[in-house]
Amino acid sequence: MKRKIIDFIIEKIIFLCGVLSIVFVVLIFCFLLKEGVSFFKDYDVFKFVFGKLWYPSSEPAQFGILALIVGSIYVTAGACLIAVPLGVAAALYISEIAPAGVRDVLKSCVELMAAVPSVVIGFVGMATLVPFVRELFDIPTGLTAFSGSIMLAFMAMPTIVTISEDAIRSVPWSYKEGALALGATRWQTIRRIVLKAAMPGIIAAIMLGIGRVIGETMAVMMITGNAAHIPSSIFEPVRTMTATIAAEMGETVRGGMHYKSLFAIGLVLFVITFSVNFIADLILGKKKRK
Amino acid sequence: MVKIMEKIDKIKVENLSCFYGGKLALEALNINVVKNEILTIIGPANSGKTSFLRTLNRMNDFDANYARKGAVYLDDENIFYMNPEKLRKRVGMLFAMPIPLPMSIYENIVYAPKRLGLVSKKSDMDDIVKEALQEASLWNEVKDRLNSSAMKMSGGQQQRLCIARILAIKPEVILFDEPSSGLDPISTAKVEESMIELKKKYTIVLVTNNVKQASRVGDRTAFFLMGKLIEVGKTGEIFVSPKEKQTGDYITGRFG
Repeated sequence: MKRKIIDFIIEKIIFLCGVLSIVFVVLIFCFLLKEGVSFFKDYDVFKFVFGKLWYPSSEPAQFGILALIVGSIYVTAGACLIAVPLGVAAALYISEIAPAGVRDVLKSCVELMAAVPSVVIGFVGMATLVPFVRELFDIPTGLTAFSGSIMLAFMAMPTIVTISEDAIRSVPWSYKEGALALGATRWQTIRRIVLKAAMPGIIAAIMLGIGRVIGETMAVMMITGNAAHIPSSIFEPVRTMTATIAAEMGETVRGGMHYKSLFAIGLVLFVITFSVNFIADLILGKKKRK
Repeated sequence: MVKIMEKIDKIKVENLSCFYGGKLALEALNINVVKNEILTIIGPANSGKTSFLRTLNRMNDFDANYARKGAVYLDDENIFYMNPEKLRKRVGMLFAMPIPLPMSIYENIVYAPKRLGLVSKKSDMDDIVKEALQEASLWNEVKDRLNSSAMKMSGGQQQRLCIARILAIKPEVILFDEPSSGLDPISTAKVEESMIELKKKYTIVLVTNNVKQASRVGDRTAFFLMGKLIEVGKTGEIFVSPKEKQTGDYITGRFG
């Protein structure tokens, strides 16, 4: 009897924990929606998303976030261009080529990379990468979208490497054996069989990496220069959506237009990251059903 | 004049010993495989029969614990000095579990010839696919759905697809590693049929746990026990009057 009661209680506690995590997400979303939508009552959505000028405190105030969206896209795309090939190649090396000793060391290093706080990465980037970029390309400032991309690539790498590596490792040995027994070389086997079979997992890893990059705030705020204009190249300062929210939230009047507009940015950001995660889930789900 | 039947040794094994992590798995083996015969290898678990088979196309090379001594000659050429990829093209292997690659039936077969640069034209590929599937007696069952996924076939069909895949690269020797351990009796019969058909063109080494299978398809049979070759001879003789007592005991099911 007593065992049954304990069983019952524990079951309910675990149930509560599970439900709570959903409740929190829903609550956050509702809050964001409430503040964001009330902003759109006073300000046209179209003007908000496609407006080029972000002058939240001038008279009359301009809330156009196109420059911020473009800034986010520049930094994210740049980070992906760097992190995806590097990350997938690293995962391949760790899971397929590296000898056992090297593999263990590399794996723990990559996992350690994930544990570095973003403010530290931003700090290191500011002290080393920014002056380096300025001198290398001979530009007025090193605080550019390009520097931000490099730092963010660093942060996305651990996600991409660990998840791709899992996917690659879960390709059954018999597939490889089958290809090798037909006279395929190791590289042919990796390229045509291993990569192909692990592709859904690798795509999911990339998506999760992108999600991480889009949402990243601290490092980009420190490195990208925070100029809210549409850049003509990646060697110009940009400002991302996340950095805008973080930088300006402290100076707004609670309940004012500026305050609400930051929530609206959060809403746009939420929609973007949600779509990325949703697509990643779809791909992963497709893999499992196969 | 008496016409002597030509019996050429396709594979000659000299003093082959294999080790796993320092432990002896196969001891000083001397055996030959005659061209166009089916040599079946029987023996209980741990008898070294699979180690032997996997040595013949050097699939063991991927195991870091594996070591070997001695020599294996394929047409008088020592396979341990050959390029392993070239060797595996000449000595194909069929595994216990059918492992189609995760692609269509058609792609499964053209995969290896394409990689090895044997074909490039679409019409040549079509020919290879048809020929290989016919030789593996699978053509009639799948000719209408060559582009469907190989993963959707039945176990027996997958195993014959794997045979077709090997045939597509025109090997000289085919190694069968317990090819019907995962199959039902009817699929097994079909795989055995294609084996007997195949020996006209290829030399076959078959490792099997199924003693009856050895008696059905083998021209000669070798009995391995604890890493040693106990006896090898004509299948009929081994099954009717084995020279060694252990062989007889195993065949009649007294142990193993």
